[in-house]
Amino acid sequence: MTPTDDKAALIQARGLGLHYGAKRALDDLSFSVAPGRVVGLLGHNGAGKTSLMKALVGLHAVDGELRVLGLDPRRDRVALLQQLAYIPDVAILPGWAKVSQLITLVAGLHPKFSAERARALIRRTSVGLGDTVKHLSKGMVVQVHLALVAAIDAKLMILDEPTLGLDVLSRKAFYELLIDEWCDGERSVLISTHQVEEIETLLSDVLMLNEGRLVLGLSLEDIDRRFVALGHDPAAADAMAAAHPLLRYRVQGGSAALFDGAPPPEVAALGQRLRPSLVDLFVALTRRPEINRTQGL
Amino acid sequence: MDRLQAFRTLLLREWMQHRAGWLVLVGLPSLLMAGLSVLDGSGLVLRIGGQGTPIDRLSTLPLPLQTLGWTVATTGLALLLVALTVLFQLPGLARRDVQDGSVAFWRSLPVGHGEAVGATVLMHLLLLPALAVTAALLGAQLVAAFAIVPHHGVLAWLQQPWAPMLAGLVLALGRLWLGLLLAALWLSPALLLSMAASAWLKRWGMPVVAGVTVLGTYWLDGRLPQPVVGPALQRLGNEALYALLAPDLFDGPRRLGQGELASEIAALPAALLHDAGRVLASAASPAFLVALAGGALGFGLLVWRRARSE
Repeated sequence: MTPTDDKAALIQARGLGLHYGAKRALDDLSFSVAPGRVVGLLGHNGAGKTSLMKALVGLHAVDGELRVLGLDPRRDRVALLQQLAYIPDVAILPGWAKVSQLITLVAGLHPKFSAERARALIRRTSVGLGDTVKHLSKGMVVQVHLALVAAIDAKLMILDEPTLGLDVLSRKAFYELLIDEWCDGERSVLISTHQVEEIETLLSDVLMLNEGRLVLGLSLEDIDRRFVALGHDPAAADAMAAAHPLLRYRVQGGSAALFDGAPPPEVAALGQRLRPSLVDLFVALTRRPEINRTQGL
Repeated sequence: MDRLQAFRTLLLREWMQHRAGWLVLVGLPSLLMAGLSVLDGSGLVLRIGGQGTPIDRLSTLPLPLQTLGWTVATTGLALLLVALTVLFQLPGLARRDVQDGSVAFWRSLPVGHGEAVGATVLMHLLLLPALAVTAALLGAQLVAAFAIVPHHGVLAWLQQPWAPMLAGLVLALGRLWLGLLLAALWLSPALLLSMAASAWLKRWGMPVVAGVTVLGTYWLDGRLPQPVVGPALQRLGNEALYALLAPDLFDGPRRLGQGELASEIAALPAALLHDAGRVLASAASPAFLVALAGGALGFGLLVWRRARSE
């Protein structure tokens, strides 16, 4: 997830910048996404996730260098969209359309779309081909949308908050369909979400944005190697605090401290090593230091 | 996948979304006229020459003239309904996908913004109106049959000079399509700039267009050495109307009534061709180029708006 010259990368970004008036939405982002990865794009509201997603599919012009599937997204937007699958938001299918009509239309508009596969995927859901979108629940609409884009034979899928506002069952069904029917080890997915804990087990890599800046871009393996969480007794709290951890937080029945890199040996001896969760890491890296200080344990 | 197929699919999308309303418009003029022809035993009262004096009842005229009368009446009604529908629909069309929240879905598909806007404009300004008018022209023949057969019998209806009448019908259809195309192009500045205003300014779009028009006509023109806005709008409207309604043929029924009927009907195709040449000649003017430029500006603003839609 670090800057790379890898020609095989599906996405290569260097020094990306985007501003709305005086406000910088993206600030000097550099990262790459290799084939076969499931990348989570995490960030608070306003962190720049949607701006980045739109830049990746050519809907926003950005400064810097950006290649997606070898194309310039802004200049080659239509050609790029012919080669990837993209869900830009939740429940945005046109309400007037029947599911079968949407299949017909996407088949006529997307060269890599398989209508037969879309019908097969729809049959896996509780939605009928003759159902009209406006009569479906939000969760069903999202399932239909995923079935449509999962029927696109692409190397890259980009999902922008695809499950926002859905209940837990709908979210679970969405991710099952995504993993079972689309991810095959060769294709990559870039998915932005707030619901970090739900997708943690699906991800191979993480990009974290904070106020337009990339604060983390690593594989989960590298995260496990780099970040260390120590569970400790209350009696060791002061010693942990003195070692300046990234975050102090509560875990079941006790406290923990999260360190970027190995903690000092004398501190490490006071606690038990835990696997840091993505949520804790997210909080540690995207919470402002002054808040960290005032709300720290 | 070629771009033509994608464009055809975009046209199909317009049909899928709006077919119910347009199917009503396709059938309504013929149904209304058929009802009129059946319910009103005396048929239409024909007024010729714009004097407002009924000179004859349609049912007493020679049968080819009756058929022509029902054809003109049904097609005219269709044109009126189509014009009202298009004018009523246009502001909403400009914001349709934004309002129903589906614009993000459409923009996620590999379609150019120009193609997407072009398909909507082409379908609603030309293809669907042409469909409605064609259906009216053909349906009018059934309407005429409903009107003629009860008074004169089937045999009399069948014995009309169908060869020249059908030739005239085909040419009239072509002339109508040409008229629709030219009328849409003449009116494109007003139509597409109104759509663009609606797309950019949302609910304020049409009030702003109306306000600008009124200001231009009554305030700006009064302060210029020579009025510009009012005459320009009038020219656009007149050219569009003449492109559709063939003013040279307005006195056709009078000539048909006065001259030798068979020869006049035989001359109808030539008259239609002559009229088509006249409206094409009107289009070969700087004013038409200015109209096209205004339409292109409106189209460009619509495409730009779609590209920037959130």
